[in-house]
This record gives sequence, C-alpha cells and structure tokens, in this order.
Amino acid sequence: MRERVLVTGIGIITPLRPFAGLDSFWNALCAGEDVITVKDPPFLDLGRKWPMAAIERSAFPDEMRTEEKAGFLAEEALRRAMHDSGLDIKSSLNRNRAGIVVGTVLGNILYKEVTMAENGFVLPDNEKKNRHRDGYNDSLSSLASGLADKYRLSGPVITVSTACASGTDALGIAAGKIRTGQADIMIAGGIDVLSSFALAGFHSLQALTHDRVRPFDRNRDGLALGEGAAFLILESDKHARSRGSRVYAGLSGYASRADANHLTGPHREGRGLSAAIRGAFLDAEMDFSELDYINAHGTGTPYNDLMETRAIKNVFGDMAYRIPVSSTKSMLGHSFGAAGVIEAICCILAIRTGVIPPTINFHERDAECDLDYTVNVAKEKKVGIAMSQSAGFGGQNSAVLFAQA
Amino acid sequence: MKNVITGVSRIRMNALNEVMADLSERTQAFRSVCDLERLTVAAVELVLKEAGILIPVGKDTVGIYIGIDDAIEEIKNEYLRNIVEEGLLGASPLLFPFTSPNALAAQATIVFDIRGESIVMPCRGSMKNIAAYADERVCEGSMKMAITGSIFSLEKAAPGDRQNHEASFYVIESAESATSRGARTYENETELFA
Repeated sequence: MRERVLVTGIGIITPLRPFAGLDSFWNALCAGEDVITVKDPPFLDLGRKWPMAAIERSAFPDEMRTEEKAGFLAEEALRRAMHDSGLDIKSSLNRNRAGIVVGTVLGNILYKEVTMAENGFVLPDNEKKNRHRDGYNDSLSSLASGLADKYRLSGPVITVSTACASGTDALGIAAGKIRTGQADIMIAGGIDVLSSFALAGFHSLQALTHDRVRPFDRNRDGLALGEGAAFLILESDKHARSRGSRVYAGLSGYASRADANHLTGPHREGRGLSAAIRGAFLDAEMDFSELDYINAHGTGTPYNDLMETRAIKNVFGDMAYRIPVSSTKSMLGHSFGAAGVIEAICCILAIRTGVIPPTINFHERDAECDLDYTVNVAKEKKVGIAMSQSAGFGGQNSAVLFAQA
Repeated sequence: MKNVITGVSRIRMNALNEVMADLSERTQAFRSVCDLERLTVAAVELVLKEAGILIPVGKDTVGIYIGIDDAIEEIKNEYLRNIVEEGLLGASPLLFPFTSPNALAAQATIVFDIRGESIVMPCRGSMKNIAAYADERVCEGSMKMAITGSIFSLEKAAPGDRQNHEASFYVIESAESATSRGARTYENETELFA
C-alpha cells in the first residue's frame, strides 16, 4: 500500500494582501476583492499599459533590487510554509529525506531584463557576482537549487517547467517522491513574476484582456498577467503523525496529459484535460461523484474557458452541472508557474473553511459555458474533495485532487 | 516491477541535416521555428523507430520526459533582445512559445501524437532527475511507456552556438511489456540512472 501524502504547511504571496498572511488572503479572495489594475510594465518601457495583478513595489524591502524579486518571493513564501508547518529546519529535519520541487515558467526573468537593458547582451564577469548577490541567477533551475542550498536539503531537488501547468506538476511530482518512499517531506511550490518579457509575448498573441478578467462570461476577452509565489509542505502520513503535525488535507491524486494538438491553443474539445482529470481520479482511487469543488484554470480567454467547460462535461456528464466551479484568476490574474499552487491552496482552504471563492466580473452567461461557476459571490458548501486543474501552452494539462484528511 | 530500455537515439546538432534526410515525411513536413525543436523531433522519431513503436503513437499511456540545460536561455535572449531594440514590434509571436522549455516536448507530442504525460525539467549537469522520474512513472503504472531524454551542450560553446548540442533519448518500459511485444532490450545503458 502506498504512502499517503498530507499537506502540513502553506506559504503564499500574491498581489492580494501579499504579506498579510493566509487568513487575510483567503478572506479577501472570498470577498471578491479584485487587484487587477492598469499599469506600466514592471521594468522595460514598452510604450503602453495593460491590466495586471502586481505586488506593489512598496510592499517589498527598500534594499531589494528589481531583479531580486523572484528570489525574494520564493524565499519568503517558502519560509512561511515552513513556519506554518512547525518544522524545525535547524534540528528536527532529516535533510536526506527532504527535497524540493519548484515549478516555474520564466524563473528569474527580471535578471535578464535588467542585465540586457543596463549592460547589453552579456554581463561582464566582474559584475556577475554582484548581480547574483542573492544566490540565484537566470538559469531556470537556479531557484530550486538555491532554495535547496539555503535549507540544506539533500533529497530530490527538481525544477519543472511545463508552461502554466508547472505549479500543478510540481505538486504531483513532489507527492510522487513521498509515495515511492524517496522522501518523508517534500517542499513543492511555484513562482513567477511579472515581466515586460511576458507582457509583450502575450500581447503579441492577442491573449490579454482590455480591462477585466471575466472567466466563463460571454464577453470574456482575455487574461491578465499576475505574479506570486506559493509553497506547500507535503509530508508522508507516517512522518506527519509522528511529529503531531497539523494536517490541512491529503493530496490524493494527480495526473498530467498532453493534448498533442497545438503549440499555443488548447484542444477544442478538451481531450488532454479530460484525460488528466480521469487520470487524477484513477490515481486517487476515487469516484467522480465524490467531487465537491473545481478550481478551474479559468484564464478568461475565449478558447480556454470553453475547452475547460467541455472537458468537465466530458468527464462528469450530468454531474458536471452540480459541481461548483470557480476561477480565482478573475481576482489574482495569471501567475504562470505559481498559479497551479495558488489554486491548489484555494482548494485546500475551501475544504478547510467550507467556502467556495467566487468567479468575479461575471455578468452575461455564455450559452456554451453553462456550468455552476459560483458567480460574483462566494458560497458556503461542505467540501470533502476538491480538484485544481491547469492547462498551458504546448497542450499541457494537469489535475490534482485534495481530500479532507 | 523491473523496467528495461528498448530504444536509444543520439543526435548531435552538427549532424542534424544529414539525419533529417532519412526521417519520415511527417518529420520532414513539420514546420519548425528553432533548431532545438528540429533536434528534439528528429531524436524522438529515431528512438520511436528504434524501439519499434508505431507512429503516430495515439495513446495517453505513453509519456515524454525531457531534461534540458540552459540552451533555452539563448532563445529567450534572442526574443528579449528584439524587444529591447524594437519595443513591442520586436515581440515575435512565433518565437515567444519557444522561450518556455516545454515547447520542445510539446512539438514532439504534436508531431508523433504522444498523449500521455509531457514533463520538462530544466537542469544543469546531471540529467538523472528526468530519467529517474520517467522510470518511476512506468514502475508505478502511471504510464506504460516513457520516452525520456535530454538536450544539452557537450562542452562550453560561444553564446548562440548550438552546434555542440546533443539530443539523447531512450524508451523505458516494463520488462513484461518489452517481452510481450518482442522488443529488443539494451543492457548497457545503465548510466542513464547514474
């Protein structure tokens, strides 16, 4: 029998009450607080503004440089998760049995922007040390290896980059390391920051909204970029019980499947996502009828939201209409690699509090998006099992299930 | 459950054009944006053929798992340099998807209709994480077969020079599966998991 995987710590920083703690974040989210506003890009001047969910510069320490934002957010979210779990990193942790998985799409992209704008294409050797004073560089694997070094973790150290499913895949991969007996504790999280790089890219693909994110609404016109970092402490049941950990929920199932269809557009019928959802239920050995809540990828683009709706209907049939679905990206924007972990946390908190967060900015029903989207106002419901699903460029699809423990 | 390797391929970028000439129409017809993409797709076709797997694959029980070094950073640099120099007009919608390393695995899934897991792990140095994960997924029964490999530079090269890049792929499956379909197994590839 395989080892159960439990969530025993949460650390989250998003543009919504960024450093005010988990309860404050959750209360604001369930109140439908929208932090998406029109702003200039964070560093490079691109000659225009976009709606985005940004963590205000004033929320960070004065001494933090622009290019240190990703490292700072990752460290701070991880520190909060460790503290929340009650793990004593200095004495009680068997570091050989603890590891980390970080999901990210662009990692320390601001290093590149700052370096290129200030120093040209290549940073002189004598400036590299100063530029990377926080211990990270612009290599995608740098954040995971840097965090592992700082916590002296000797177990698995992995970076996963599967576009906007990176965070969800990080959780699944980390859980697998515990299930297969390779680790007792895995720190799993996601991190990405706003950048001109990403804004220009999504603009060029005409994927950005003109004003508000309206997931599943008939007039939805695109996504807004966001940023954040979120980490979960995952522990084997045995390890968690032995130290008397508080348990938020169990991570019960995970699966990932490829659309094998198109590089930037989802399969129109949700073939890959349907397969990922079925795979996660198979992995969890659960029945579809047990599901109480879906936190959707819900980017607010015409194609994604229709694809997700179809995938949910493909899998759940008539039951689909009775499962509350919400998109928290309507408030938080799309934070790429962090999104899957932030949305997993929303599932865990829905289980814990019995409140389903709303999909805000929903005003007009789309004839084809006809599920129960928990529109505009949060609702109370006992949630025993919740699912977070993610999709991404390249036809990435992942689903992760959490259950009351 | 013991896994075995039933296919191996290895292509170096400087030999890619030569190799491409012998590949299927499917691979030759595929329109690519960058050389790493062509290298990946060519190496995956070779390993599928070597393992005797029919193309298109068309199954969600076959996954692809790729480790990649910092080669992808050069694509990001090219994309960003265009933005720095030309502003929004420099943002290429064709190049942007390739600034995410998963695009390489994604192109292989599209060309060969591989519908299982598609996982990319950026790394420096050892590629053991990706091979070990692919092996685990087959052991657990999450996937019946794993196409796993890496794209990496053999030695330090000048920025933008990817001629020293190599794609190296393997097919992993259970011994039972390999035996049942009469696949040849490779005994001397144990360094994959070192």
